[in-house]
Amino acid sequence: MNPQIVLLCPQGRLDAWTARQLGTDLEKHLSHGQTRLIIDLRNTRYISSHGLRVLLETQKHAREIGGGLKLCGLNPRLFEIFEMAGFDRVFEIFETVEQAEQAFAL
Amino acid sequence: MGQRFSFSTDSRLERLSKISEFVEQAARQCGLDDHQVYDVQMAVDEACSNVIEHAYEGKPNGKIEIVCEKQNDEFTVTIRDTGKPFDPTRIAPPKTKAPISERDIGGLGLFFIHQLMDRVNFDFSKNGNRLTMVKRIPPR
Repeated sequence: MNPQIVLLCPQGRLDAWTARQLGTDLEKHLSHGQTRLIIDLRNTRYISSHGLRVLLETQKHAREIGGGLKLCGLNPRLFEIFEMAGFDRVFEIFETVEQAEQAFAL
Repeated sequence: MGQRFSFSTDSRLERLSKISEFVEQAARQCGLDDHQVYDVQMAVDEACSNVIEHAYEGKPNGKIEIVCEKQNDEFTVTIRDTGKPFDPTRIAPPKTKAPISERDIGGLGLFFIHQLMDRVNFDFSKNGNRLTMVKRIPPR
């Protein structure tokens, strides 16, 4: 993994409660100048609108400071939820961490 | 013969995972498939998050009552609270096709509830708020 890229792997549910912690973690990285973020959702079985909001806010903030957020590992149901909300247009979504990492290098 | 399951909890976001477990068990016992169970779990999760954050404004000692019932080919979830009334008509729908710069962070929860359930009704009275959500169970 490129040391300039931060990889996070949230586990289980990203609901209104657990998304807060993820949001705090992501903001901490951004405030430390780590602006290239990958979130691997392979172990995330559920995401609510609160989880999506955290990702959206992070993406907006990261882009403002010259970075970005890329996602990977979504299971089919999670991808369906992203599509429903039109979030598949907002994020670059990859199958694997390696593909997301390569996209940062391009 | 109908089936009925009930659960009550206080208004803390930490309770959302327990609420979800209750809904999953009730929905499975009523014969919903994996996809339908997920739909109902998500709709209830969004609704209860709204109750905790908006109706009870984050105060942890509010009461939330959830009842799941199956009658014929319908699975109905009723959520009751005694917090501030919630007027869904005041929530603007999210811009699901807008570019990121124009995306707002609100309105998605209600949008999902309507997308995932077949009928949704909000009812307010002096006794509290009641949200009724119905999922039709297609014959297999």
